[in-house]
Amino acid sequence: MDERAILDHQFLVAAYAVTWAVQLGYLVWLAFKWRAQKRNAARNPK
Amino acid sequence: MKKLAIGLYAAVTVALMVWGFYQAIYVAPTDAMQGEIFRVIFYHVPSASVAFLFFAVSLIGSICYLAFRRNRDGWAQIADAWALAGAEVGVVFCTVVLLTGPIWGRRAWGIWWTWDARLTTTLVLWLIYVSYLLLRRFAAGPQMQTYAAVLGIFGALDVPIVYMSNRWWRTQHPAPVFGGSEGSGMDPSMVHPFLWNMLAWFAWGVFILGIRYYVERQHQQFAALEAQAALDA
Repeated sequence: MDERAILDHQFLVAAYAVTWAVQLGYLVWLAFKWRAQKRNAARNPK
Repeated sequence: MKKLAIGLYAAVTVALMVWGFYQAIYVAPTDAMQGEIFRVIFYHVPSASVAFLFFAVSLIGSICYLAFRRNRDGWAQIADAWALAGAEVGVVFCTVVLLTGPIWGRRAWGIWWTWDARLTTTLVLWLIYVSYLLLRRFAAGPQMQTYAAVLGIFGALDVPIVYMSNRWWRTQHPAPVFGGSEGSGMDPSMVHPFLWNMLAWFAWGVFILGIRYYVERQHQQFAALEAQAALDA
């Protein structure tokens, strides 16, 4: 593997990792928001 | 039954994502000119397409909110929830576009960023919808949803400009691969992996859009109950 191919591979891994970090990070944030909302609703049933 | 359908959809989405990844990395041949870095297209372009689609959802939601807000409050709230969900999930996908694009650009062009029409209009689009979300987060009062709907409609006007930017102007960004001028297009061996990834990212986007819509509807119902309780007290 030449240097160019190694760099291409590293940048590709970075692009895919960033994509999944953003998407899964958002999903986790959404899950926390949902849980907090459910907790609030349970605390104030009316 | 509903839970089973959601679980099934989630399982199919995960399977599509895994299949899309396999297609992108192992099935699509390496590009003769760009090498391995070309595979960024399998995440970058579908993310842009899904972002545009969800900004359109936000546009329709915003228009419907303005249309129904005076006489059909229930419908208006549903429209508002779709507008918010579309804008927020659209921003997530647009963020991916703005992060993966420069990573590709650094290898292909030797620079992370340039102020050409496609990149600049995409950044402006992202900023408009981030301001939409900030407005919804920090503004209070009964007019907030109306202001947000108006901003959502204006923001969506940038989507066709982003789409057409590399057709209208000479840009550093590559010319359109699909629907471009004569000679544009993709090698047939790369089209299938690309379409699988389009489908996978669309399924994933719909999945998180649905969750975001549901969370917002719960929030609206909880807020309405709180308001009623405050009036009763």
